[in-house]
Amino acid sequence: MSRTVITLGPRQLGLEEPMYFRVQTAGDRVAGLEVLAGQVHRGLEHLTLKRNFYQNITLLERLCSLCSNSHPSTFCTALEELAGMVVPPRAEYLRAVADEIKRIASHLFNCAVVAHIVGEHALFRRVMELRETVQQTKEAIYGNRMDLAANCIGGVRYDLDAGRVGYLKSQLEGLKAPLEELYRVFADDPALAAATVGVGVLTREQAQAFGVVGPVARAAGIDYDVREKSPYGAYDRLSFQVAVQAAGDVRARALVRLVEARQAVSLIEQCLDQLPEGPVALMSFPEIPAGEVIAKSEAPRGELIYYLRTDGTDLPVRLKWRVPSYPNWAALGEMLKGEPVSRIPLIVNSIDPCISCTDR
Amino acid sequence: MHDVEATVARVLEGVLGAQRGEPAWRRDAKGGMSGWYRLGNPEEIPMVARALAGLEARLSMVSAYLVPSPQNAIGREIAYHFDLDGSTLTLTLELPLEGARVPSLTQVYRNADWQEREFRELYDIEVLGHPNPGRLFVDRSLEPALFERLIPYSTFINGANGERLWREVQAAQEEVAP
Repeated sequence: MSRTVITLGPRQLGLEEPMYFRVQTAGDRVAGLEVLAGQVHRGLEHLTLKRNFYQNITLLERLCSLCSNSHPSTFCTALEELAGMVVPPRAEYLRAVADEIKRIASHLFNCAVVAHIVGEHALFRRVMELRETVQQTKEAIYGNRMDLAANCIGGVRYDLDAGRVGYLKSQLEGLKAPLEELYRVFADDPALAAATVGVGVLTREQAQAFGVVGPVARAAGIDYDVREKSPYGAYDRLSFQVAVQAAGDVRARALVRLVEARQAVSLIEQCLDQLPEGPVALMSFPEIPAGEVIAKSEAPRGELIYYLRTDGTDLPVRLKWRVPSYPNWAALGEMLKGEPVSRIPLIVNSIDPCISCTDR
Repeated sequence: MHDVEATVARVLEGVLGAQRGEPAWRRDAKGGMSGWYRLGNPEEIPMVARALAGLEARLSMVSAYLVPSPQNAIGREIAYHFDLDGSTLTLTLELPLEGARVPSLTQVYRNADWQEREFRELYDIEVLGHPNPGRLFVDRSLEPALFERLIPYSTFINGANGERLWREVQAAQEEVAP
């Protein structure tokens, strides 16, 4: 069979960000994939070396939008670990609240796009309406729908009084039944099942070989979540079960995200119930000594890891991070191999890729 | 001794010999473990990586950087970060500023592909045996390590340079003044 090479850009893939692909086809099937990154490479890791630690919190929050809270919170964790700072317990819970509310919005956005691509427009609208509840909640609590500006070195920059706790709880209550309903739809709806079951499969072995992380890994049976494997912040005091599926297909990835969205509601409720009294940040700020440190978190797309190297000044010598989309991109070729070309947009979106994070 | 410490010590001893010592392990505020170990030469990294793969370690990230700092670099280092079921082991490799070369880990870890292509183009470190050594982010018309060679616009126009320039102008004026 003759082979053809086609180039696909973001428009054809339904992506909102610039990434290009060179696809080898055999007939109407995908035979090979080359990911062409770098369209929005901004040299951000280099830029962090020109800014002090405070300025980098602001810069890192603008790295991407959907997981914007994970970057500054993980960076702050690295600095706090290096300086031996003990973050106030109330701040740890408030960081978890911000992380989990972002997780719900991020996961719902991806499930909405999946519904859109398979032509389930009514479902797309329902998921986006539910996500809008989360967006409005973020705006009410943080003053912004995407970049929450919640983190500072040694704690957080916001607090929840009794009124806001009550408001947040009522908003969470309103999410529960629709999230249950959405899970049932994605699990049982015949039309969705026909479009997603057995599609874009990544086996457990392939997932391990490519080192994929987050919902993509957990949908392939890998029981790994940073919040459980190496707890940070308040997660050592919160209870949840790692969402794992075995099929490794598009449906499994959506189900993992919907389970995690439900769990995020529970995690925020646990935080609000356990929220201790006390300061939300350290009043004094120690020197950041020379050294090197690793900090990790479970961002909506999976494990986010930071490496920070310092020399005793207020500028990093090296700040390196690996976003969860990074290994997941490389495994995309395995998921697409042998699939009809018409399924490319659905499978690409099922890994919930973040181009802005990847390119940096 | 914690399980991961003993297991990694045994693996490193098996590959590199007992005289090389053990990683320095640190426990973070929540009990998370991070181990730090310096390799002797580039040929050791594939051997150690293969042994770690046998422990189902995941290559988590690779960090290349200039030492002691980008402003006064006299050498390079690469830190290979491996995940061992939640603990992180960092293997650091010292490299020369010029002519730095490392063997590819793609035969052991498929996800080394992008990591190696990235540090190859941003840090001018040659990767030996990479199956797909094309550019990842930076246009192929640009020479490697452009951040080391070119002056970014932000540096070019920043306040420190402007202040230094003004002081030079003032000093020059004082010299010519009677």
